[in-house]
Amino acid sequence: MENKARKTSEHEDMTPARRCELLDELKSAVAQAQHGDEEAFSKVGQLLMEFPLLAQSFVDLARTVERSYIKTIYRDDPLVQEALPSQLNAMREELAGAEPSPLERLLAERIVACWLQLQCADLVYGQNLGEMSMAESEYHQRRLDRLHKRYLSSIKTLAQIRKLSPAVQINIAEKQINTAG
Amino acid sequence: MAWEKRQRGGYYYTRSRKVNGRVIREYVGGGILGEASARMDAAERQRREEKAALWREERERLEALDGQMEELYETAEVLAKAALVAAGYHQHKRGEWRKRRGKQSTKD
Repeated sequence: MENKARKTSEHEDMTPARRCELLDELKSAVAQAQHGDEEAFSKVGQLLMEFPLLAQSFVDLARTVERSYIKTIYRDDPLVQEALPSQLNAMREELAGAEPSPLERLLAERIVACWLQLQCADLVYGQNLGEMSMAESEYHQRRLDRLHKRYLSSIKTLAQIRKLSPAVQINIAEKQINTAG
Repeated sequence: MAWEKRQRGGYYYTRSRKVNGRVIREYVGGGILGEASARMDAAERQRREEKAALWREERERLEALDGQMEELYETAEVLAKAALVAAGYHQHKRGEWRKRRGKQSTKD
């Protein structure tokens, strides 16, 4: 009980700076563990368990990013601003599936956010197509290519996590998640 | 774009442009013709500058949005990798994830 209260409070108190610090720590532990470092391997598990609501805190970030995109790109279209969030919610639910783990939820959020980013990029490119210089057009095409790759890679990661399930059992949030097998 | 003073005292409007990498100076004329050309060129220059400023603004706006997205993307990637590593997997040559021999998950 006390432990849960501590973790909830950690989540609430987690500043963006602390989040970045924690992620860097996790990233470096993952890289070392990949090279067979036993200590780093334990640290990865420890970090995942110690900060159970980390994934959830990034789900909130995903929603913020999503709102920014909608507000900025569709600023002149209140109808889309109104309708798009429910479409995104439906996509999210479908991707996350029934009873998703926090990690699956985060990965589904990422796919939806990548999809939205790609749609927005496509829209901006389409709207300016006739008026763009060569340099502008190349910039948009490169951006579209990059976002498309990221979108596909996001889908692949969620599929991978599901494929390798249910052997991976790690507490990365309050409940146990299954991620590999 | 410039006005040049001629030896006989008159002013001549000229514009320079690049042709095959070489700068060519075009002599447009003096008087009303020069004046009109100078105004047209100035308007065109202003239009180009405004367009460039708009483009810069648009690019900054897109990059600010992409920056927020970057954090989310990276995080999900790190957490997914961490979950796999903690479960005893390793990424083979930046490609597929394989179970490390004899490795148990951090839960075990």
